[in-house]
Amino acid sequence: MFDAAKSVTLAGTVKEFQWMSPHCWIQLLVADPAKPDAPPVEWGIEMDNPLGLSRHGWKPGSLRPGDKIVVVARPLRDGNPGGQVVSVTTADGKPIGNTAEVAK
Amino acid sequence: MKRSLAAAAAAHAARVAVAALAAIAVAPAYAQTSSKARIEAFAKLPDWSGLWEPNVFVGEGIGQSLSASGAQAGLAILGAKVPFNAEWQAKFDAAKQAADAAAAADPNHPPAPAHNNCGSPPFIMNMMSPAIYQWRITPEETTIVDTINGIRHIYTDGRPHPPKDELWPTRAGDSIGRWEGDTLVVDTVAIKPDILLSGFTLVRMSDQLHFVERMRLVSKDELQDEFTLNDPAALTAPFKVTFSFKRVTDTNRMIDETECDSTTDRNPIVNGRFTFETK
Repeated sequence: MFDAAKSVTLAGTVKEFQWMSPHCWIQLLVADPAKPDAPPVEWGIEMDNPLGLSRHGWKPGSLRPGDKIVVVARPLRDGNPGGQVVSVTTADGKPIGNTAEVAK
Repeated sequence: MKRSLAAAAAAHAARVAVAALAAIAVAPAYAQTSSKARIEAFAKLPDWSGLWEPNVFVGEGIGQSLSASGAQAGLAILGAKVPFNAEWQAKFDAAKQAADAAAAADPNHPPAPAHNNCGSPPFIMNMMSPAIYQWRITPEETTIVDTINGIRHIYTDGRPHPPKDELWPTRAGDSIGRWEGDTLVVDTVAIKPDILLSGFTLVRMSDQLHFVERMRLVSKDELQDEFTLNDPAALTAPFKVTFSFKRVTDTNRMIDETECDSTTDRNPIVNGRFTFETK
């Protein structure tokens, strides 16, 4: 489903953060700098389950609508705007949670 | 003669009276003795307290990516060759071919596991899931609880399995156990046959499926569970696989990971709403 050999870096605005089982999701609005007049594209970013995220220092309120973040993700193979999260940082590069890197 | 009969009757009456007195006295006396005996029984049991997770999932990233060592451990389990007999090997090969074909035809939507995501997966997959596990050891029973709605009751009070006509397949099966030193030997029958191990997603085992597990601490931070799977109808020899659990150090909470709507698997807390934070 996701292409583990590829990664995309998405700078965007949080539309929604869904803290839920079996997996959490970030709905992220990503504008294309090359097309300033086009509406932003909504990406669905799949994460671990709430317990897994909490073990990495995440909380149900870690992201709020309007937050500017940078997500690195493994993209969907079919080219649709979705991916499996690798890391999440604030727009100025601060990690969210106690680790933003893929595990050792 | 009459005297002796009378004596016997008197003796009998005395025994009845003693028994009645004993019955009256039993409740408090029994509790006292039992508690002491139980505490002593507890003291003989090993300490497996704490939280444990399969070594496959140690170091899992926020996107469920496995660590290198976890991926290796997973492959070792999933890649193990099961000694199917010819009949079951043919079933397995056909199912694998069909699954591979489905995956090749639509790589974006690989076939999903058959079990309900809202519940604990069936035995044996329930022991190798991305979850946290606890062993609660008492003299009468060891209970294994996990964060995916799984619970296994392993009776160590000496009982046998129930008779066959009182057993039916369940996710966790029926488990009885005994202690061999610090090793818990667990015998499990009446397991739902759609187990997930080494391609078991693809074939159902027979109703003769039977597991023996040897659980023990191999170090302070590692708990091993060595499974021997037997199914005389499907296998030519018993099949062994060892699961390793590592002590969890980054949380001290057991949090249900499967809380979800039974139809959608989704019960979102959106943007932090419905939380107990004080903001």
